[in-house]
Amino acid sequence: MRLVDLPRTSSFRLALVFLALFGIAASILFGFLYIRTQDYLIQSVDSWLAREAPGNYASPVPAIIARFNAHAQGDTDMDRAFTLYSADGTYLAGEALPLPNPVPRFDQPFNFRVPGGQHTRMRFRGLAHRLESGDIILVAQNMYDTREFDEDFVGTALWGSVIAAALGLLGAVIMGAGTVRRFDDVALAIQRIVGGDLSKRLPTQGTSGDLDRLGHVVNGMLDDIERLMYDVKGVCDGIAHDLRTPLTRILAGLERAQRRARTTDDYAAAIEDAIVETQGVLRTFSALLRIAEIEDGPRRAGFETVDVETIARDVVEFYEPLAEQKDLRMSFSCEGSAPYRMKGDPSLLFEAISNLVDNAIKFTPEAGFIAITVMDRAEGLTIRVADSGCGIAVADREAVQRRFHRTEKSRHMPGNGLGLSLVAAVARLHDMTVQIESLSAADDASGTIVTLLLPGHGRAQAHT
Amino acid sequence: MTRILVIEDDAKPALEIEAALSDHGYAVETVDTGRAGLLKAATESFDAIVLDRMLPGGMDGIAVLSTLRAMGNDMPVLVLSALSAVDDRVRGLKAGGDDYLTKPFAFLELTARLDVLVHRREMPERVIKLRVEDLEMDLLTRKVSRAGQGIDLLPREYKLLEYLLRNTGQIVTRAMMFEEVWHYRYDEQTNVIDVHLSKLRRKIDLPGMSQLIHTVRGSGYVLHAPG
Repeated sequence: MRLVDLPRTSSFRLALVFLALFGIAASILFGFLYIRTQDYLIQSVDSWLAREAPGNYASPVPAIIARFNAHAQGDTDMDRAFTLYSADGTYLAGEALPLPNPVPRFDQPFNFRVPGGQHTRMRFRGLAHRLESGDIILVAQNMYDTREFDEDFVGTALWGSVIAAALGLLGAVIMGAGTVRRFDDVALAIQRIVGGDLSKRLPTQGTSGDLDRLGHVVNGMLDDIERLMYDVKGVCDGIAHDLRTPLTRILAGLERAQRRARTTDDYAAAIEDAIVETQGVLRTFSALLRIAEIEDGPRRAGFETVDVETIARDVVEFYEPLAEQKDLRMSFSCEGSAPYRMKGDPSLLFEAISNLVDNAIKFTPEAGFIAITVMDRAEGLTIRVADSGCGIAVADREAVQRRFHRTEKSRHMPGNGLGLSLVAAVARLHDMTVQIESLSAADDASGTIVTLLLPGHGRAQAHT
Repeated sequence: MTRILVIEDDAKPALEIEAALSDHGYAVETVDTGRAGLLKAATESFDAIVLDRMLPGGMDGIAVLSTLRAMGNDMPVLVLSALSAVDDRVRGLKAGGDDYLTKPFAFLELTARLDVLVHRREMPERVIKLRVEDLEMDLLTRKVSRAGQGIDLLPREYKLLEYLLRNTGQIVTRAMMFEEVWHYRYDEQTNVIDVHLSKLRRKIDLPGMSQLIHTVRGSGYVLHAPG
């Protein structure tokens, strides 16, 4: 983005709008102040006039003449004027001010202007009084100060607004430029991500500003996308590896039949083999599709309130004969107070728990034990499957939840490497977390505990 | 001859389904729109209907099904769907479907389910005793005996045997047993059900007795009298 684009940024425009609003508010304030100050000044002049003028009314005319002339000599800049006129308006004594003609009103303050010597026009506010002799006394205050105040005031206001406007504009430019820079950074980061660098993240400044919050949300989304991309890659690799083998076997079997089969029975056997292999391939595919479907998440609409204890008990009962065959002790227990209810899809939960139990049976040597526990603890509703089997190495614990991932220990076992990723998908759909630990913290290979946790599942919720 | 109406718009699967059902010994009629299917179902008599969930032309499978049920027609209907979402299944069953199958499916699964649906209609409503050869199940006292000898069964084994007995002579697949006996529904891929079956079989088919529970290779089990 170039500087030309600055006026188009939202923060720049916002700053300008605020500047305009501030200008209007300041003008109103200054105007108000101006009017009030003027009022105050005039009032103080009026009160001086009312105080000063009547003191002269009772004196005899010669005394007034003497006093006014004395005052006129002392007051050269005509700040305050005391002037006496004859009844026809002729100047008699005091400051040399012509009497306004006609006098607007007597015994009330009024404004008048005088064509003056030093000042081209002098503004006065005065009070006129007609004495009993018919002579007229004019007491007046020069309003030059008020005018000066006016000029100062307007000047200050003008300069103030110029400075404020300049500062505001500068602020707008700085803010706009800052936003432009941050948006440029974000745009650049997005371009790099679009370009294929999925590990790139939007820059954040560690504040909780709006752009930062947006950045965090987008980064969270990018984390998900990155995980999904790796998942897809893992799935592709997995499909390539896991499906090549049966397909090769099918092809080999069919070719062998083509070459060697002589009797109908030979052909029947070859077809049978091919069917079995194909069914296996189809099963893998449908398992993949199911995981994809579960991860799509539309099932949430079909959620109902389910009793986890019943489901877990059903799983245990379902697998009991299999455990017996391997001479495994399988136990089921509940901790906390029943019922253990949550919103969910019973079939999916059954499938997830049975995958865990199935794994436990598969990887636990004979005469071992498997313990399934349903708990309602402070941190949430928990389903735990623990076994005394071969355990999962710390390094593998994330990876086993990905599709087709198989640990070294499980390579020779039957299965398609999709079991735990299905569990993970079901858990995600139910807002549950999957945690994999070993039975003893010190030893990876000391058995496995897989915990499905529905966080924040308090008793209050359980009954709704 | 058992008559089946197939309502499926996709020509190729329709042909395959038709072929599979004919091979199984059914007389099959196929139509490719919901409207035509509804008309046929309303005017002719069939033993069961195979209904695709997604049909073109404004009338989809669920609409056909609910109209049919609203008309008071209680022909068994098996709904086919490409979606395995539970919502879809629930919707299908709510609209009056008797069973539900997700594509792709094995034709053995389809025929087995149809057999059970067709057969269910022929069963008398109230039975007190189920009986095959010398195997007897009393549904009131929940007692099972073979050749007069009482047999102790776990609750789940009892249910399993009851399901097999109710469908004597019909193939029941693992998926059907899983749904019917355990009441969960997903494509169970382990051999756990086989283990349950072999346990049950050890209790029913004692040494020296004729075998009643038979394995059908590649699909499931069937309970029938020898010979």
